[in-house]
Amino acid sequence: MTADPDALLSALRAIAIRVEAARRLSPTAGTAILRSIVDATVLLFDAEAASIALHDAATDRLVFTVAAGDQGQGVVGLSIGPAEGVAGYVFSSGQPLALADVADDARFERTTAEQTGYVPRTLVAVPLIDDEGVLGVLEVLDKRGDGSFDLRDIELASAFARQAAVAIRSSRLERDTATLLATALTSLSAGSDDGGTAESNTGAAGGSDVESVVAAAVANLDGDEAEPLWALADQVARIRAVDPAQLDLVRELLAVLVGRAERGHAGRSRLR
Amino acid sequence: MSSVLPAWSEPFAEDRRAALARQMPFADIDRGWAFGDGSGAGVVVAVVDSGIEGGHPAVGGMLRQSVRVELDGDDARIVPDEPIDAVGHGTACAGIVHGLAPAATLLSVRVLGADNRGKGLAFAAGLDWAVGQGASVINLSLSSRSESMYGTLHDLADRAYFANALLVCAANNVAVASYPSLFSSVVSVAAHDVRDPEAWFYNPRPPVEFGAYGLDVDVAWKDGGRIVATGNSFAAPHIAGLAARIRSAHPAVSPFEVKTILAATASSTS
Repeated sequence: MTADPDALLSALRAIAIRVEAARRLSPTAGTAILRSIVDATVLLFDAEAASIALHDAATDRLVFTVAAGDQGQGVVGLSIGPAEGVAGYVFSSGQPLALADVADDARFERTTAEQTGYVPRTLVAVPLIDDEGVLGVLEVLDKRGDGSFDLRDIELASAFARQAAVAIRSSRLERDTATLLATALTSLSAGSDDGGTAESNTGAAGGSDVESVVAAAVANLDGDEAEPLWALADQVARIRAVDPAQLDLVRELLAVLVGRAERGHAGRSRLR
Repeated sequence: MSSVLPAWSEPFAEDRRAALARQMPFADIDRGWAFGDGSGAGVVVAVVDSGIEGGHPAVGGMLRQSVRVELDGDDARIVPDEPIDAVGHGTACAGIVHGLAPAATLLSVRVLGADNRGKGLAFAAGLDWAVGQGASVINLSLSSRSESMYGTLHDLADRAYFANALLVCAANNVAVASYPSLFSSVVSVAAHDVRDPEAWFYNPRPPVEFGAYGLDVDVAWKDGGRIVATGNSFAAPHIAGLAARIRSAHPAVSPFEVKTILAATASSTS
């Protein structure tokens, strides 16, 4: 690849600007999609509440991430064991189920109910499933009116859960892309670092480093091979689910890269 | 003559063929014949689930043993477990089986694991153990979506079949591939909405061949309670209970023959 250094520079600047812009956007676009899914679920079922719990592999807990409905908010932030209670059962068995007359039995999920301040009368819980496994659980509580959830409701809730699973997997892909980028930039920084911090590094690293890091970063990404930089830029622009600390790191490293590329550009007419 | 045939063909050799004689006239099968006294006596039914509450009235004191699967890396060990159920789901399944086959003995295998991989390993160990304990009907109201577990679970389903254990599996309500419920050697069950525990249907178009009661079922739940539940999870144990009746009345029948008898005696659709 023979890159026009001016184009490379402007692309890197664009990346830095877009990452900064992404940082200022909602930090968790994935969560926003999940929230819209539980909102729609509540509306469609005319339910008191709906919530999504996601499995956190690091802690091996199911964490209630979003909720909708007047009675739903108390559950957000609550975490339970992966095989605990109805949500845990559905997560670990992969089997959807609906329950009724729940409130008649005071023993039902007492702990969870106490923590959320709301004991449902009826509920349906379905797994968030995609091709790779179960990611979490969607729960819908209390259809208004006197009906309990039937087989059709399970099917319908499962369709919403499928949507949520796709959204989650997609946001995890974005996060993985961000991690890949950060790793590539970190290794570049460490590889040519002469002992100072990244910001103070004034070594002679030039545009070829930029090229190699771009090549590394886009190696596993889909995109037009003739325009790897733009593929990278597009990937970076999609970073919204990445955590703020990591985003800061990426931004910082990109700033260093831009600085180096500028120096390299000043020293050489072509990058290679 | 049999000596020149490959091992798998030996049962069909002329001097062995007498052992293949059918034991029943299929055209005359009805539920009275199929179920005998309907008690399930002498049959061991394993419930691979969240545990069984041994003291729950719904299981009538028929829980003989409880174990759980402990995972240590790639090793899965069977360890004794208290007769408890943290969720209520396994007790619900056991109660349904007991309701249909009150003299059948129950085994509880608690396998709920954190991830799909662990679940597959736990399945494997739990099923092996249940088969080794002489369970001839095994209720699995669980499934795995993980493609990586396909081979392991397929091997397990085969092993159970060859060991004369009938796997009764809840189909996933979601229209995705899930295992082992979609394997041909198992009895795959989905729910119908006829509120009758003794109503079941045979579907000649696999993979889900049977439909059983699974809508608003009054089931046992944890701490001696009861709850109204809906899902394929609750349909499968109905077929497991009926299979226990058949295996009690006809101890010599094999898993595929149980399936055939269930098909032959299924409810009329007219």
